[in-house]
Amino acid sequence: MIMHGRAIAPGTAEGEALVLDEPFSFLGGADGATGDLHVRTGNLAGKVFVFPKGKGSTVGSFVMYDLKVHGKAPAAVVNQTAETIVTTGAVIASIPMADQVDVSLIREGDRVIVDGKRGYVELPDVQVLDSASSVILTAGKVLMLCRPPAARSFPGVWSLVSGRVERGETPEETARREIKEETGLTVGFPDAVLPPVLVREGNTVWRVWPFLFRAEQAKPVLNRENTAFQWVAPAEVSERPTVAKVPDIIKLFIGQ
Amino acid sequence: MYLTKDEQAVLDGEKGPGAQKAMELVTALGKIYGADGLVPITSAHLSGASYKTIGDGGLKYLEDLAAGGAKVTVPSTLNPVGMDRTRWREMHINEHFAEKQLRIIGLYGQMGVQETCSCTPYLGANVPKCGDHVAWAESSALSFVNSYIGARTNREGGPGALAAAILGKTANYGLHLDRNRRPTVVIDASEMEDSVFDYSLLGQAVGMAVGGGVPYFTGIRPGVDEAKALSAAMAAAGSVALWHAEGCTPEAAKYDVSGLEHVPIGPAERQKAKEKLNTADEPQLIAIGCPHLSPKEMNDIAVLLKGKEKKRKDIEIWFCTSAAVRAQCPDAVKEMERFGPVLADTCMVVAPIEGMFQRTATNSAKAGNYLPTLCSQKVVFGETADLLKVVE
Repeated sequence: MIMHGRAIAPGTAEGEALVLDEPFSFLGGADGATGDLHVRTGNLAGKVFVFPKGKGSTVGSFVMYDLKVHGKAPAAVVNQTAETIVTTGAVIASIPMADQVDVSLIREGDRVIVDGKRGYVELPDVQVLDSASSVILTAGKVLMLCRPPAARSFPGVWSLVSGRVERGETPEETARREIKEETGLTVGFPDAVLPPVLVREGNTVWRVWPFLFRAEQAKPVLNRENTAFQWVAPAEVSERPTVAKVPDIIKLFIGQ
Repeated sequence: MYLTKDEQAVLDGEKGPGAQKAMELVTALGKIYGADGLVPITSAHLSGASYKTIGDGGLKYLEDLAAGGAKVTVPSTLNPVGMDRTRWREMHINEHFAEKQLRIIGLYGQMGVQETCSCTPYLGANVPKCGDHVAWAESSALSFVNSYIGARTNREGGPGALAAAILGKTANYGLHLDRNRRPTVVIDASEMEDSVFDYSLLGQAVGMAVGGGVPYFTGIRPGVDEAKALSAAMAAAGSVALWHAEGCTPEAAKYDVSGLEHVPIGPAERQKAKEKLNTADEPQLIAIGCPHLSPKEMNDIAVLLKGKEKKRKDIEIWFCTSAAVRAQCPDAVKEMERFGPVLADTCMVVAPIEGMFQRTATNSAKAGNYLPTLCSQKVVFGETADLLKVVE
């Protein structure tokens, strides 16, 4: 998978991802001479260091330079949002850096290639697959399906009407086909569509194409792909275990 | 972000690796803040000068930069460093620290930076004109020149300001643009006393009340010393980099502030601000001069001390100013030195006092904010005259 972000500091580097999900201060957060992290176990040397954004003292830029001098600098930095301190440190220490990529898609240990001049972040071992995911709305409630415990992806949790886009299909065709197969319902044109949402599962990133269909008096008939269905009020969706980003998609469509 | 052919050539390394690095930094910072291009600057003021704050990483960075032949191309001054460069022994500074600190000053000098080492360069060494675009670090100084002079700068960091000084240009965004210099809130100051200390309290109260933005004051007419204290306090208690005062600062008349939120700051708010910074009773060090003392403040202190004796030998007193002001006020210096050294180039915040004292008294709201975090001090916060009574 290649993510197109924003170029911050030039240079290309490859390394294993070290991922933090909190904003990070180099001053106090890492030892400039050894590369050891203070916020958890781990060492920055040679890693692609992935975190949401920098924080803390401006001296952090010099800690990054110190890491470089001691040969303990990260190979590259990837941020969700670059700010002054980390940007300054990356440039003066010649550490390739990109931002404006979805860092939640990168997992600890991933092989990552960063092109800081173009702003590309590549995960060569991660494949991208397309799927369509449909919100079927009847009388203000959303149709949720429960996946079987033995399903290959996302077993035992609640999802929308979803399926993989087959060769030669458009995502909308997939959506209509899956609705027919999984619920027996026939739907017309989608009432709304959204840009794709990315969901990480193992070494796959699902590019999920969301659709909204309104259906009157819909009575679903399930096939074997799901074990149960429920009509759920949008506000109550997150009360049950769901496939990642399902509550977000419903919120984007319906606004709750 | 638009770069001219010449600027692109610098970025591509055609003017050498030093200029290329500087261009990489200025354009990267410009990019993250949405700059449309670069703007020429007339001066720079650089922070990141104390060995205490930048450490060995910063020292090595400066060594590599200077060795690569980097030179500033616009008049540039330097912030206070960790010690008085000649009288550091009086500050209990050890040889190791002094040696590293002197190297840092020397490296800036080698790159063409004036070795003034002061946070008030606008009092003499480096004075922008109204409308000038500049690249200044040091939150109190940049707020002063933005607000009281009408020059234009963002809150630059040390390396960013140095890169801009090398290029003679900085990224055009934020406070370089008219639209971001408009007031965002009106501060109605009432019952102000005619004292620098009350302006320090006002700044602290505003920082606590509004945090950032561009405050527009009614009810004040600060002089240079009052504007200096106000700028410093608001930048430390909040993140204010520009303010206007009705009928006083050069840009204030340009703006219609009707419809903006009003925040009243009276004696009660200022008293609360004072109490917030007070965390100790009995100081071991009294440090006056954050920002650096002006000639007028030096003379006021000299008048205050005339005819008095320092009875408490156990309490140290430091007065902090620039070398230029110290040289300008020999009589005041003589009077003050009976109580404690008049130090140049440094201050209580960037000097490594954390190993020497635990409780420091100051009249500065800015120092009151930073002494606990940067120097592990408890703070006695009060007016200079009251603080100095302790030793009479």
